[in-house]
Amino acid sequence: MFQFDVIVCGAGHAGVEAALAASRVGASTLLLTGNIDTIAQMSCNPAIGGQAKGQIVREIDALGGEMAINADLTGIQFRLLNETKGLAVQSPRAQCDKKAYQFRLKHTLELQPNLQIFQATVTKLIFDQGKVVGCKTNLDLDFYCRTLVVTTGTFLRGLMHIGQNKNEGGRLGDFAAKTLSQSLLDAGIELRRLKTGTPPRLLGRTLNFNKMAEQKGDTVPTFFAFHDTRQSGDLFHVERTDENRLGWRPGCEQVSCWMTYTTPETADIVRSNLHLSALYGGHIEGVGPRYCPSIEDKFVRFSDKPRHLLFLEPEGRTTNEFYVNGLSTSLPFVTQHKMIRSVPGLESAEILRPAYAVEYDFAPPTQLFPSLESKKVENLFFAGQINGTSGYEEAAAQGLVAGVNAANKVRNAAPLIIKRHEGYIGVLIDDLVSKGTNEPYRMFTSRAEHRLLFNHGSAELRLIEHAVDQGLLTYNRIDKIRSKQNRILQWVDRLEQNRNNGSTWGEIIRREGIQTSLPEEFKKESKPIRDETLYRVSYQGYLMREHRQVEKLSQIEKIKLNSDFNYMSISGLRKESAQKLSEIKPMTLGQASRISGVSPADISILMVWVESGRGLRAQ
Amino acid sequence: MGTSAIALLRVSGGDGAKVAQNIFGTTPPPRVAQHGDYHERGGGLIDDVLFTFFRGPHSYTGEDSLEISCHGNPFIAQKILEDLIARGCRLAEPGEFTKRAFLNGRMDLSQAEAVMDLISARSERALAAANRQLRGSLGKQMGALVDRLLGVIVRVEAYIDFPEEDLPPEDRGFFLRELSSLASDTDRLLATSHYGELLRDGIKTVIVGAPNVGKSSLLNRLVGRERALVSPEPGTTRDFIEERILVGPHCLRIIDTAGLNPSPAPLEKLGMEKTVECIEEADLLLVVLDSNDLCASVPHELNNDAARDKSLIILNKNDLIHNNSTVRQFPYVPHGISVSALTGSGIETLVEAISAHADRFRDGNDEESVAINARHSSALKISRDCLNAALIKLDVNTPMELLASDLRQILAAYGEIVGKVNNEEMLDRLFSTFCIGK
Ligand SMILES: Nc1nc2c(ncn2[C@@H]2O[C@H](COP(=O)(O)OP(=O)(O)OP(=O)(O)O)[C@@H](O)[C@H]2O)c(=O)[nH]1
Ligand SMILES: [Mg+2]
Repeated sequence: MFQFDVIVCGAGHAGVEAALAASRVGASTLLLTGNIDTIAQMSCNPAIGGQAKGQIVREIDALGGEMAINADLTGIQFRLLNETKGLAVQSPRAQCDKKAYQFRLKHTLELQPNLQIFQATVTKLIFDQGKVVGCKTNLDLDFYCRTLVVTTGTFLRGLMHIGQNKNEGGRLGDFAAKTLSQSLLDAGIELRRLKTGTPPRLLGRTLNFNKMAEQKGDTVPTFFAFHDTRQSGDLFHVERTDENRLGWRPGCEQVSCWMTYTTPETADIVRSNLHLSALYGGHIEGVGPRYCPSIEDKFVRFSDKPRHLLFLEPEGRTTNEFYVNGLSTSLPFVTQHKMIRSVPGLESAEILRPAYAVEYDFAPPTQLFPSLESKKVENLFFAGQINGTSGYEEAAAQGLVAGVNAANKVRNAAPLIIKRHEGYIGVLIDDLVSKGTNEPYRMFTSRAEHRLLFNHGSAELRLIEHAVDQGLLTYNRIDKIRSKQNRILQWVDRLEQNRNNGSTWGEIIRREGIQTSLPEEFKKESKPIRDETLYRVSYQGYLMREHRQVEKLSQIEKIKLNSDFNYMSISGLRKESAQKLSEIKPMTLGQASRISGVSPADISILMVWVESGRGLRAQ
Repeated sequence: MGTSAIALLRVSGGDGAKVAQNIFGTTPPPRVAQHGDYHERGGGLIDDVLFTFFRGPHSYTGEDSLEISCHGNPFIAQKILEDLIARGCRLAEPGEFTKRAFLNGRMDLSQAEAVMDLISARSERALAAANRQLRGSLGKQMGALVDRLLGVIVRVEAYIDFPEEDLPPEDRGFFLRELSSLASDTDRLLATSHYGELLRDGIKTVIVGAPNVGKSSLLNRLVGRERALVSPEPGTTRDFIEERILVGPHCLRIIDTAGLNPSPAPLEKLGMEKTVECIEEADLLLVVLDSNDLCASVPHELNNDAARDKSLIILNKNDLIHNNSTVRQFPYVPHGISVSALTGSGIETLVEAISAHADRFRDGNDEESVAINARHSSALKISRDCLNAALIKLDVNTPMELLASDLRQILAAYGEIVGKVNNEEMLDRLFSTFCIGK
């Protein structure tokens, strides 16, 4: 019998982080994947980061995850988005070499102590008395565990559509997990359908880049990983500096993306073939995302917009394949072909892989505790697209948290729960488990009520206590982060107190901006320290306002609710609120207050109820 | 409109003693009811009230608290409430006092369920009241403000969250226009129409007339108690005497003045000048004549169109006429209302006439649109401040994210009135406004 502490089913972006996190905190871990060659595959666009997601990646790094460093080392173009919109909403983004990204992660997994990787498709979970204890595979091998993390992405009953053409599978060229859904349903877990899509991939040598606008990377790349707090010894976790696994130095020899637009002809082609679209022909039952409309959607819903922007993104250094960002569709291949050729620069483009829409099962995440453990089945954790999210970054973040918590459950340690004011990961998981989602959930900065606290450079400082509590970083790195933090605090104090021509430096910075001339000694500090110090000084008033609001809310965040409360028996609570509360089983009064339909009066009543319970126990 | 004779306001929490000190200049001994004049922060007298200080835990809520009993006129209570807020108090949530009482151990466990029922009943009632109001024109106006604010927010958020999209160019002019117009609309709601002020402060009703015609007696009759000194001596009243009463649905701020003497003594003259000023500011003039004075005529100070328009002529002391069977004719004042301040006869007719006159203020003003209460106005004030902050930012080209931070505060403040606008609604609006997505 094969026995592990933790089994992770699926080696996508969520599964990879889950397996690494669990094994790094000491659990013996098995990672099962249907195909070892597609570990950490970027099924959609070959990029990591972007708005809000870039911050998530840095948070992952702050918690000892792998995505940041992997993107830095395999990135082929780096850009810092939103440089003019403010310091908190600036987000790093990188185009990555798709294959290099996968292979480096595969190698990282291979070198990870405590972790075993095995190629087999999970067909069924094994339950015992309401708990998960293992899984069965297509190879007739059973594996047993104390806790199990499901990270199956779009593979659960995945169904792909290209016009009228239908193929089973979670991704073009891959299989579908057909029996696992039933196993989850049998355990009482509710499943629903979602839909997402991906554009065609084109052959680069058939494109005319002269007709397109070039988009270059930044000359000074912004990386995701906090290199300044690492030493060569803990730079790449399991790598050593003498290992040379990379073909290039991070940030060098960047490649370009290219921009072009659809034409009126494109619009005509789409409109006259709408009936052939899987989406518009009514062949798809799943719900697609509002923020990532298919080209059909764009021309129908925004018919007054004459043209739509397309980006051609290289998929790697050693391939001629290009991703057409902005042209997601479920039209038939013939229409896709015509449509592509109506675009300037793509007149003789050859399609390597067609665009398609994919429908899949997801398990509404309100069935989870904030630890990402199922409320229905003990020891069973869920992370990634199966929870209704979209995006590699969102998946990886959940994987990391689920991996740590699956390991914590084995050793009886308290779960890692990041609060809404601590980072996007906190917002992500709280939104999922308290509110659920009707479309593939993607992070936006606007989802965070304390967005101003979430500048990407502060991720390490915001999450250091969690990293320490969970043992996610080396002592060496923790020391470095702490001394960086002290340095910043000292500088903030000095700038607020020391004067220059009557004003404090703080006042000068707020008046004249951060470009103002600063004390010589300050200029000698490292860029991360300077940036964070200036951020705190220039946004002082706003940050104080945010902290005050956090403080105000923290009161009810501290009040714990028992998951076995019988809400139906609480007098005065409205029936619909009681139902919602029994379904979501919030962990704190704060979480309860964010459930839609639960009113402030309900919260008051709960508070009285909690206090009265405490009174009882005291007697 | 029903109203209780006495309204009780309760201030609970850490600063109860300090608030008492602030308002009444003394920290009263605990549990002893005291009389005092409630002056608003600006200095004006609102009402004479009874106040009692309770030292925690010997109070209803278990905390230091201050109870103020004022006259049961909702507008007086409202004014005091607004003043307390201006002094840094916060409105209690529905059922909050009971909840605090419970949490501070002032109630035993057996009462817990009753408490919860109470909270839900109260909040239900508060909700019903709020809904009634929001269905009306305040709701519509607030809805329009929220809608336009969202129009600005989704643009700002779209630029922040979708920098790579092919969005229309950033138009600061649009933001500036929209936000300034939101600011002025918020101002308009905040200041409320004249009727709103009338509702809050009362319709300024001034009793005028020659000395000794019975002005003070009329005031006492309308108020229902001996408020002003009455004597057979002309020139009894020297200073204004002010009282608030309810007439039908209207709140009247009723002011008794010194008699208008055609040939005043030098000292009297000063008082009369003040009376004339008061006449100009009045919403309604109750012009009192003595029905037994054959030569009675409207004092010349009131002989102008502006004054005539807001005058009701009252022929007082009609109890003295009945000995004489002939009905007196007043060639100059054909529409006088015959009353007796002494016996109360004719007062009902007078009250009806006053009420009808007051109704005129409501014409053209939707009753609900201006019924802005303390909760509303404190929320609107916050949104106004944030609108100003946002406008300044637009002026100096501050980063979008800081503008967004102010806009969120405004939305939250509007939300205090019309209900919270959740982020999903914002995103819905965003994605239906812009074609976003790659
Ligand atoms: N019989 C009778 N006497 C009245 C009536 N109204 C007032 N009086 C008497 O008239 C006298 C003057 O009344 P006040 O109310 O003081 O008159 P006033 O207009 O306020 O007088 P000044 O303040 O001096 O201008 C008092 O003796 C009252 O009792 C009434 O309706 N009938
Ligand atoms: Mg008088």
